[in-house]
Amino acid sequence: MAPDDKGALFPAEGGVRERVIAFLQKAISQGCFDAVLIPAKAPGTDSFGYSLIGDEQLLKNAYPLPPVMPVQGAKAMSSLTRTGNGKKKIAALIRPCEARAAIELAKLGQVDLDNIFLITIDCPGALPLAEWAKDAKKAEDAFAEILKEGPNESLRPICQICDKFSTTGAEDLHIGVQGKEAKGILLIPNSPKGEAILECLGLAAGEDISGWRERVDKLTGARLEKKKQAQQELEAKSKGLDKLLDTFSQCINCHNCMRVCPICYCQQCFFESDNMQFSFADYLKRAEVAGGLRLPPDTLLFHIGRMLHMSLSCVSCGACEDACPTAIPVAQVFSLVGNRNQETFDYVPGRSRDEPPPLRVYQEDEFEEVEQSHAAVPAKQEAHNA
Amino acid sequence: MPKTLKLNKGAEQCLLELLRFLLESGKVKGVFTLSKVGESGGVAYSLITDPAALEAALPLFPLMPVDAAKMLSRLTLVEPAAEPIAAVVRPCELRALTELIKRSQGSLDNLLLISSTCGGVYPLETGVNGNIAEKLPGYWESVKKGEIAADIRPACAACEHFVPYNADITLALIGNKDVDKQCLIQLNTEKAEQFADGLTGELSQVEAKSEIIDSLKAKRQARKQELLGEFGVEDFDVQKVFEKCIVCRNCNKVCPVCYCKVCFFDSGGDEHDQRYYETEMERKGYAPVLPAPTFYQLVRLFHVSMSCIGCGLCGDVCPVNIPLWAVALKTGGAVQNAFDYLPGRDLDEGLPVTTFKPEEFAATVD
Repeated sequence: MAPDDKGALFPAEGGVRERVIAFLQKAISQGCFDAVLIPAKAPGTDSFGYSLIGDEQLLKNAYPLPPVMPVQGAKAMSSLTRTGNGKKKIAALIRPCEARAAIELAKLGQVDLDNIFLITIDCPGALPLAEWAKDAKKAEDAFAEILKEGPNESLRPICQICDKFSTTGAEDLHIGVQGKEAKGILLIPNSPKGEAILECLGLAAGEDISGWRERVDKLTGARLEKKKQAQQELEAKSKGLDKLLDTFSQCINCHNCMRVCPICYCQQCFFESDNMQFSFADYLKRAEVAGGLRLPPDTLLFHIGRMLHMSLSCVSCGACEDACPTAIPVAQVFSLVGNRNQETFDYVPGRSRDEPPPLRVYQEDEFEEVEQSHAAVPAKQEAHNA
Repeated sequence: MPKTLKLNKGAEQCLLELLRFLLESGKVKGVFTLSKVGESGGVAYSLITDPAALEAALPLFPLMPVDAAKMLSRLTLVEPAAEPIAAVVRPCELRALTELIKRSQGSLDNLLLISSTCGGVYPLETGVNGNIAEKLPGYWESVKKGEIAADIRPACAACEHFVPYNADITLALIGNKDVDKQCLIQLNTEKAEQFADGLTGELSQVEAKSEIIDSLKAKRQARKQELLGEFGVEDFDVQKVFEKCIVCRNCNKVCPVCYCKVCFFDSGGDEHDQRYYETEMERKGYAPVLPAPTFYQLVRLFHVSMSCIGCGLCGDVCPVNIPLWAVALKTGGAVQNAFDYLPGRDLDEGLPVTTFKPEEFAATVD
């Protein structure tokens, strides 16, 4: 957040897309950065993919806010920057949840933000991938309506309860499009790099942005309410081993949630390693213990293991749910568990670049009450046995 | 003609009776079959060792949550089954298993393979929504008459290989007009006769209704042509067909014949450093950043076409509804025809790439 809560108005006309493109074109022509990593539509197709665009004219194909999230932007940033060796100044314009995931990946050594101007934009949400797959034109029209009139219930369920749809606090520059600013878009710098972009454009951060912030805060408040209610309902449906098993009963163990997850970056997943390959005798023994063994085995173990690995960094982007072939509300469950874990450690993924992941700064004297509550179990059992 | 046992029970009950007999008599240690899971109408494969657990078994439920061949490969990859197991699988799953065995991805030792003439399965989505139960009466009517059941997956509606090739035991379902009260168990191998020995039933000379089988085959062939046209793979514009692909690679993950432990696309082999993207961008004004759908899909086709048995799972799990089953059928068919090879027909039929002769395809080489 800029200390004096100021931004600059970049004057432009048209819809959100046209205004943002005008800003990017100007910034490239002024040499503020050399290229933009941004979703773009290949001419003659309906599909959106991340492209590195250095040509002002080609920026016309860019879609700063595509109606869907086919690939999580943090994954594209990792592809581009993970090996380093770049020479160009690159601006990455991605959704706030994608930026938060990119910040987490930077902490995990999978994204290099050094040569990147990280730019976010107020996000109206995204439509379910399945709806777009059925009819891309219809989805684009529905999304245009959302951009014009505000979020509605055709958005993905996880987007409908998202309270982090605006500035992450850790990007270089945020684009404010809340409300209907008649004259342009708000550029809100968040770092010296962000300020450098404004300077390069000859803009001063003199614009009062309290109106924009009020609108953001108002929607955030409404979303938090809605999220609380939705999470309570989900918890009632999925808490406890039996209900959790039922929630994931249709899982076919395809691991697609893991593969599209920006945070799940391991090259070799434990659950696809030799550790999960057993001998016939092992499978038979396990079957005999319970009378039968579901195949593939350990479907719930996979989800719990994955949760354990990534939930502190889960940004609730919803890519997992979009990719699930059996319509399990996997993003909603993971978001619920992630939020609880994050609250426990007072950690918000992607909020700050300097805040280390909690497991990296674990203190021996932390969570003694948890240890004690577990230590107490055998004692109780002993008493019971006596 | 194989020995056929006739039982006066509906097909599913009859199969359950056979499985119970095998398990209770100790002839097998376990039964591999579809089974009910959870309360939402889902099914999954299970290895059942307790006859009481057979209560939940639904061996003929028309849904394919995963490919059975993948599961049987997983069970027997480290070591062959040390005890006899009866496995109920669909004809296409059996063909996939045969291909996997050719590629040393498991073992048939101690497996009693039970299959049936297959009416096809419903899309995964239909199963997830719990809408299969209401469709079952219509499904079995179609099976009796040898027709294509409404709403089954297009991959199944277009499948000509619905009579199993290498089953020890075949349940004759297609064309059996009494499928709900009488069942025909064909014992195709000596092994099958030994295992079924002691099962109560009358030896029958009833012939499978070959004219109904032939007519269903013709109907499905015709449907295949229609569907391939409808889904736009006849001309096969790769850019267009794969346009929406997000390269999640779930098609590879569920594919029974995509068995590589580390896929090329997981190996880092297709990754570039930042300088590469920057150079591409300088050249063209823009550079698409990974993933590259067409490259991935073509490499996958290149690897699996020869052994693709058209099970349709790839299309079933695609989050953006690309008719991958049609693409596979089209390219698999063309490649297999060129080599006069039918995957899964015969365990002894060598993979064309392993039996390549220098004088082959001289015209192509020239």
